[in-house]
Amino acid sequence: MSASIPLVGELKVHKFEFQNGLKLLIVPDRTSPTFAYQTWFRVGSRNEVPGYTGLAHLFEHMMFKGTKNFQDGEFDRILEQAGVEGENAFTSRDYTAYVQELPRDKLDLIAKLESDRMVNLLVNEPVFKTETEVVQNERKLRTENSPDGMIYQEIFASAFTKHPYRWPVIGYKEDLDRMNSKDAELFYRSYYNPNHATIVVTGDVDVDDVAETVNKYYSQIPAQASPAHKIAEEPEQNKIRSKKLKLNIQVEKLVIGYHIPNLLHVDLPILDILQTILAGGKSSRLHKALVETGIASSVGAYGFESKDPSLLLIMVNLQKGKRAAAAEKIILKELETLSTTGPSAQELETAKNRISFDFYENLNSNSDRAKFLGHYETLTGDFQNGIKTFKLTQDVNAEQVTSVTKRYLQPTKRTRLVGVPK
Amino acid sequence: MNKRLLHLLISLSIILTFFKQAEAMETSFETDNTLPIVYINLAVKAGTVSDPQNQLGITNFVGEMLLRGTKNKTKAQLDLELDQMGARLEVETRAEALILRGAVLSKKLDSFLNLVNEIVTEPSFLETEIVKLKAEIVSGILEELSHDQSLGARKFNEFLFQDHPYGKPILGKVKDIQNLRLEDILRHYQWLFTEEKLLVVGTGDASEDLIEDWAERLADLRPSSQTGTPIKVSVPAASKTRRVQIVDKPDRTQTQVFGGQVGVRMTDKSFFPLYLGNYAFGGGTFTSRMMLEIRVKRGWSYGANSGFRFGLQPRLWRFHFFPTSENTPESLKFSLAMVEQLKTTGLTKKEFDFSKQSLINGAGFMYDTPQKRVENKLLEKTLELPDNFMKSYAKNLKKVEIEDVNSSLKEFLNPDTLTLTVVGTAKTIKKPLAETLSMNPDEITVTPYTDD
Repeated sequence: MSASIPLVGELKVHKFEFQNGLKLLIVPDRTSPTFAYQTWFRVGSRNEVPGYTGLAHLFEHMMFKGTKNFQDGEFDRILEQAGVEGENAFTSRDYTAYVQELPRDKLDLIAKLESDRMVNLLVNEPVFKTETEVVQNERKLRTENSPDGMIYQEIFASAFTKHPYRWPVIGYKEDLDRMNSKDAELFYRSYYNPNHATIVVTGDVDVDDVAETVNKYYSQIPAQASPAHKIAEEPEQNKIRSKKLKLNIQVEKLVIGYHIPNLLHVDLPILDILQTILAGGKSSRLHKALVETGIASSVGAYGFESKDPSLLLIMVNLQKGKRAAAAEKIILKELETLSTTGPSAQELETAKNRISFDFYENLNSNSDRAKFLGHYETLTGDFQNGIKTFKLTQDVNAEQVTSVTKRYLQPTKRTRLVGVPK
Repeated sequence: MNKRLLHLLISLSIILTFFKQAEAMETSFETDNTLPIVYINLAVKAGTVSDPQNQLGITNFVGEMLLRGTKNKTKAQLDLELDQMGARLEVETRAEALILRGAVLSKKLDSFLNLVNEIVTEPSFLETEIVKLKAEIVSGILEELSHDQSLGARKFNEFLFQDHPYGKPILGKVKDIQNLRLEDILRHYQWLFTEEKLLVVGTGDASEDLIEDWAERLADLRPSSQTGTPIKVSVPAASKTRRVQIVDKPDRTQTQVFGGQVGVRMTDKSFFPLYLGNYAFGGGTFTSRMMLEIRVKRGWSYGANSGFRFGLQPRLWRFHFFPTSENTPESLKFSLAMVEQLKTTGLTKKEFDFSKQSLINGAGFMYDTPQKRVENKLLEKTLELPDNFMKSYAKNLKKVEIEDVNSSLKEFLNPDTLTLTVVGTAKTIKKPLAETLSMNPDEITVTPYTDD
């Protein structure tokens, strides 16, 4: 089953769905003799359970180990010899993706290797334990010894009380130590199946050739039933949550989190405009109010596009000697103003142009295009939601911005985290 | 240009143009109509190395000041105009270049180019903005010091190069920034932005004629250099002894380990053999020796790599990994032994064959997108490399033999005089580190992490 759907300019997406549930997206583009090949699985830390946090990410590491057909290390060695570029993987709260770019004559090779590790991985205890050590080390790098990492971990831990978004993707130290190869094996059998996966191929490829190759290597892999896993809904937050962290820093940091809906919600494009008005560029409201006035050295706003309701974060690095509390007062005042008087026509136009630029820039290379498609296809079941969301941002009006500011950025529903020097 | 590439470019209607105006600004623009966006980089062929002593950070400061107002527009007006266009204009400062990096929707290109012109040729350098920028940059330096990896890289650089210009931090030092005066800034601006030092490189949905015309207009508005001489950087001296530094930061459960020495030029005869040798040792792949020994076999560090930094003169070669505090002495000793072994026995035939094939097969990724070709051109022009140097990798690597690699490694590496920097908690790692390295603890330099 296939369809050809316009992406942008001359670029088209060819979409296939195989009988075993595997999805395939192809964007031919012959501007360079290379292609990106990405495999996206619909599993992330959201699918974990308490006591086993970090398993999705730890398992991502295991995928680079041996299979029934290839010894440990062979996967990397073969791809590197073939001239692979950007071979990597990443795990988020909602998905796990395996990415690489290759010269155009390596399609058969990568399909063979990726399909093999989808079904033939060998998970043994010694390798699992060594990799756990590596992940503990990664955890030290990203969290324990990183002021921003500590703050990031804590803001989610404070803002969520029930939903799995409350724990960090990398997991907790004690959980990582507790898990063994049997846990990893079970996780693999539950989620690493064609019906949980989308393959995205962009670049110098022939559509029929890709479809045939993927069919050849993947069609024999059976679909598996999705494990029953009820994900707890996060109750509404009605009170301010606040925490102070003492860190090895010389300037204070402030992060404020507000709950926002999931990616498919109609308010998401409006929130995208809102966060751009707040902190997108140097003419944005918070930049002018905090950086231009000498209170902060930087300010940013970022709303997570997630499968389940997540957070919009406002992040501030203070200037030397300035206090987070002062910055917070200004932020709250700006939000209050925005929720009463709304943005100007100029602010709206500016935000739309910035989002427009970002949209095109996110489609600027084979790997970027593949990431865009993989992200939206995996989160929503249809990559066209990415295009639709962008188009909707271009129609947002001032009243809508006022309305979502009132709805989601209420002062009493915020979680605040302040990092102060020890 | 090989036939395949020529055919590809013709078939895609991509026009790659490089032209040098008579005695004027060099301009290179590659038309790419795939998306409605344009990237424009205006580079000055002078960077941090030209910061005068006691004015460290001034080149970056001047670059940032350009974005803070012109004679006719306040900073707020500039910011607003750029944001309204959906444009990005940022400053990137390197050791030997200052780059204004611009990106804009193609429908707004004309207005954007006019604005860049105004920014570069009519900056206001208002005292009020100087005061604000000083505060922001000082906070930026303190922020850099709070992140272990950026802290370690900065301190290693300073420790390796000592007083040589390659040791100068991009953002500068707090005291120097606070002491900058308007006349220093104006003088440095006039020195940096002369016609001969400027270079335009870009790509995107625009014609090269348009960019050429704009670059000509810009060049006409800037004076020629009084001296007419390009920047000169001396060759950094190699260390004669092993130097060890702990950048002391409390409560570290993990350290950042950097080790290295003065490197090579990209135009040196030994460059390609050493590039291949480094690739096998720690060049960023999962199967390099460092990754296999330090991460895969021992689980000591999430990452372990080695690489060169390049300049007009030999700059640096360094390795880097981040073990737990308790594993630091053992893993550091082990990594030094690995460097020693690389020097004495070189690569095996198997490693050589694998690395050579891998690099040749992957060489196309060095220039497979317009953005990468723009970056290559910037590097070639600012480091005085031959045209299309980055495209010559595969051809040059094909000529390299294992004997070239191993003799170059033997001559290049100096394991006994490597400079080492460890970001960690001195009270827990100093003694075991000294014991493992067979040093007197007093020989280890301890620098507080708060000291810029």
